Amino acid sequence: MDQPQLWVSALTQGSFFGLLGLAYYLVLIGAGFFNIAVGAYASLAGLLTSWLVVEKDFSLWPAIAIALAVTVVVAGATELLVVRPVQRRGRGSELAALVSVTALLFVIAQFAGFEFGYTTLPGQQLLDIEPVQIGGAIITANALIMIVLTFAIFLLLAMLIRTTRAGRLLRAVGDSNPVANMLGLPVHRVRLIAFLLCGLLAGVAGLLFSSQAGVSSSSGLGWAISGFLAVVIGGAGNIIGPLIGGIVLGMLQIFVPYYWGGNATNIVLLVVAAAFFSLRPQGAFAQRVRV
Amino acid sequence: MSTEVSPEHSRAATPGPLTPAPAPSAAPNPSAGRESARRSGVHDKGSLMVAVVIGALLIVWAGNNSYRYSLVQTAALYALIGVGVYIPFVMGGSLSLAYAAYASIGGYSVALIASKTSLPVWLGWFIGAAASAVAAVILGQLTRRLAGLYLACITFLFAQAFQSWLNSASGITGGQSGIGGFRATSIFGWVPHHRAQIVMAVVLVIAVGYAVDRMRLSPWGVTLRAMREVPAAVEASGVRVSMLNLVALGFGAAVAALGGSLFTTVTSVVTPGTFTLNLVFLAVFMALLGGQATPWGAIAGAVLIVELTLNVPSLETSGSLLVAIVVLVVMLVAPTGVLGIVNTGRRRLASVVADRRRADTPIDQSDGDSLA
Amino acid sequence: MTAGDVLLSGRGISKRYGGVVAVDSVDVDVAAGEILGLVGPNGAGKTTLVDLICGAQEADAGTLSLQGRPLDGPSSRRAHRGLARTFQHPQLALSLTVAENLQVGRAARRNSRFGRMIVSGLAGIFRTEPADDLRDIETVAAELGITRLERRADALTLGEQRLVEVGRALCQEPLVLLLDEPFAGSDAESLAGIADIIRSVRDRGHGVILVDHNVDLVASLVDRMMLLESGRVAFVGTAEECLASDEMRRVYFGAADDGRDHGVLRRTAEAVTPSNAGPTASGAQVAADA
Ligand SMILES: Nc1ncnc2c1ncn2[C@@H]1O[C@H](COP(=O)(O)OP(=O)(O)OP(=O)(O)O)[C@@H](O)[C@H]1O
Ligand SMILES: [Mg+2]
Repeated sequence: MDQPQLWVSALTQGSFFGLLGLAYYLVLIGAGFFNIAVGAYASLAGLLTSWLVVEKDFSLWPAIAIALAVTVVVAGATELLVVRPVQRRGRGSELAALVSVTALLFVIAQFAGFEFGYTTLPGQQLLDIEPVQIGGAIITANALIMIVLTFAIFLLLAMLIRTTRAGRLLRAVGDSNPVANMLGLPVHRVRLIAFLLCGLLAGVAGLLFSSQAGVSSSSGLGWAISGFLAVVIGGAGNIIGPLIGGIVLGMLQIFVPYYWGGNATNIVLLVVAAAFFSLRPQGAFAQRVRV
Repeated sequence: MSTEVSPEHSRAATPGPLTPAPAPSAAPNPSAGRESARRSGVHDKGSLMVAVVIGALLIVWAGNNSYRYSLVQTAALYALIGVGVYIPFVMGGSLSLAYAAYASIGGYSVALIASKTSLPVWLGWFIGAAASAVAAVILGQLTRRLAGLYLACITFLFAQAFQSWLNSASGITGGQSGIGGFRATSIFGWVPHHRAQIVMAVVLVIAVGYAVDRMRLSPWGVTLRAMREVPAAVEASGVRVSMLNLVALGFGAAVAALGGSLFTTVTSVVTPGTFTLNLVFLAVFMALLGGQATPWGAIAGAVLIVELTLNVPSLETSGSLLVAIVVLVVMLVAPTGVLGIVNTGRRRLASVVADRRRADTPIDQSDGDSLA
Repeated sequence: MTAGDVLLSGRGISKRYGGVVAVDSVDVDVAAGEILGLVGPNGAGKTTLVDLICGAQEADAGTLSLQGRPLDGPSSRRAHRGLARTFQHPQLALSLTVAENLQVGRAARRNSRFGRMIVSGLAGIFRTEPADDLRDIETVAAELGITRLERRADALTLGEQRLVEVGRALCQEPLVLLLDEPFAGSDAESLAGIADIIRSVRDRGHGVILVDHNVDLVASLVDRMMLLESGRVAFVGTAEECLASDEMRRVYFGAADDGRDHGVLRRTAEAVTPSNAGPTASGAQVAADA
């Protein structure tokens, strides 16, 4: 593991998974719900940007703005049109909500495939900076942005959640929806904000990552699982949990294939997930159980 | 009344006070008996008849057209996977996403037995079903205390890992090119061909659908369905719900493995890509689309999905999108699915007819009798 | 089983939720052929105590024994040992029929172990409803006056749901029956029916723990009564003793000597039928109370 270049890759991937995990985390604490459409938001944002630039001759920044706006709208629609009506049905709605959102994930993936094609689209170069060389590693502009932005977003959100009223509300609502409702807290609004933020974060993550690795309509599901694993490994007791989990996951994704070959990755992932689920479902670094 | 009391209850000191209101309770008992008799396996024959007729029509429709053969085979595969999903998912409330892997296990065990051993090939069907069931139980056991998404996640990772393993273990599985050209399944020396294979596939699907429908109505199925809604009450009644859940997952995996064995037997080839991960989503959607009331819903959904995604030329690429959208809409608007809608329509029609008839005869007051 | 043997016995049972001590070192005994009434104001810990006995929640401290043998493990294991319960908020599978909900009470005997669950699932393909199950379900239903077993549970009123819950518990043929507010939402007729059932269960030599807010009704039914307050046992004794006790007045009326008329309690205490009287007599009392 003395390959600096691999570490850079691991960190970049890890940042991506961490951001996805953070998107999960927001909805999890705000609505007590694992929103696996996160993967779909990410792939939608990446695909839409590339498609607008490649097929429709948009310039990059307007394309990004449109893609993020669409993703945020889709995330809001997830809460308003899918999760809320299904959860209102009451008993047994946990499964129904999970399945509806899975169906939504599938709809978005199929729609993206239908509209943007089923092939992998290349990502877009975000900034015109020369790759930086640090130690023995070359860091491309996109990787640099990914890593820096991820850490910035985490810091910012950690502060916001600790210090602002909205952040405290988010946690209060997430702790118990019914109680918060009785106390007259704006449960619906807080939940919606959690979903919108989730969409935005997932969109940014997808954009940044597909600018390096490309993106296809079928990427969403795998990303959804990775983000979920980031939360599970890191634990949802603390906002830094998803970041740590993401980086652990990123290291697995990079180092396992390097040392044991490409097919080993999925098997190692299974083993790691099985170990966490059965031994430490609350995550490696969390004190509080929140499943 | 007192002659019917079970030994346990006959220990009561006085039989009189045991029946609080003798008049009302004496009358309903026979009617209750009649109702239970009706529930126990008469009314599900109707669906069976419909399924047999549709199956026969499918066989006739397939004729000698090899493309239609492959459609029917695919529909049979989807239907078995759909029924496999139905048991733990619709009846038990557990979402597993490893069904592609279970079908693969069924397929590969047939292929391996046929190509690497001289054992009878049908053994592969049983080994595949058993192995899938064991895998499903282990995966379920790992997440037994956790929320539903954990099971979905670990089973998805298993499906992925299994596919990777199939690709990499070329010594056993033939790697990416898989295993092909192996012995056909023979039944007492008779090797079924084309048309017979189609008939067998249809028969198997209908038999499994009927069997699972009977399981649904049996005490076991009743307990499983109650567990989905009120696990605490079922646990308090003396049933380990986590264990029952595992058993349901195992049964579901075994049925899906049968689907894989069937498909592999008919096509005589299996590769890591035969059962794609996308299939998992379609499988989950089948029951939602067709209707959750009975496993026939999953089978109807399978036929519908094959038709939409493979057989309507104008939908070639948008078929899956259409399926996904329809499923989402069904989930949100009509949670009973297509068969549910059909059934409601049928019942409405029946009640309209009945109303007409009843208008001629005075209404029986005791009909509105309720509890207590 | 002769009346008077201690069937169920708990010592020092405790449970706390964060800062709230829901059940505080409670001792409880139920003898064969005895109904123990459990009363107390809202939040006294009655439901929690029932949950702890049945294993729906894990106690922080304390021991339980049934028929002299330790009682522990998950609630399914305790059900096998002979506990059955109803829930304060009825837990019926609403998409199933009444008959199917009753059948859940019979499920345990065929699904006790992993292997048996597999066998029972496969057997279901060939045989839908065993005859003895059907007969027992119908007997219980007739006993409770439940008719039209083919109705879906979501078509029932709350009172009817409670009745079916009692039926499901009875289908388990329990040694000790725990009823959490079985009378809430019932009309006078089904109330009398449930009361009769409770007595007949007692008369068969089983134990009953009866939780309800209707103190008079409980008093008219039970052999002994336990008053819980903030998780602690405030009083335990016969129904008459309990109704007449200062603790009862304090808990329900704020203070023992507030000069208010406690006529309701006193009158009921006098009117309570002795526990050895025939069931019909107290049935009439129950009907009159309601
Ligand atoms: N799951 C829980 N989490 C936290 N506190 C709880 C929980 N269950 C019960 N409590 C608390 O424990 C105490 C006892 O509650 P319990 O439900 O046992 O009372 P009860 O006597 O059954 O009341 P009621 O008559 O209203 O049914 C209450 O203060 C309640 O708030
Ligand atoms: Mg209570």
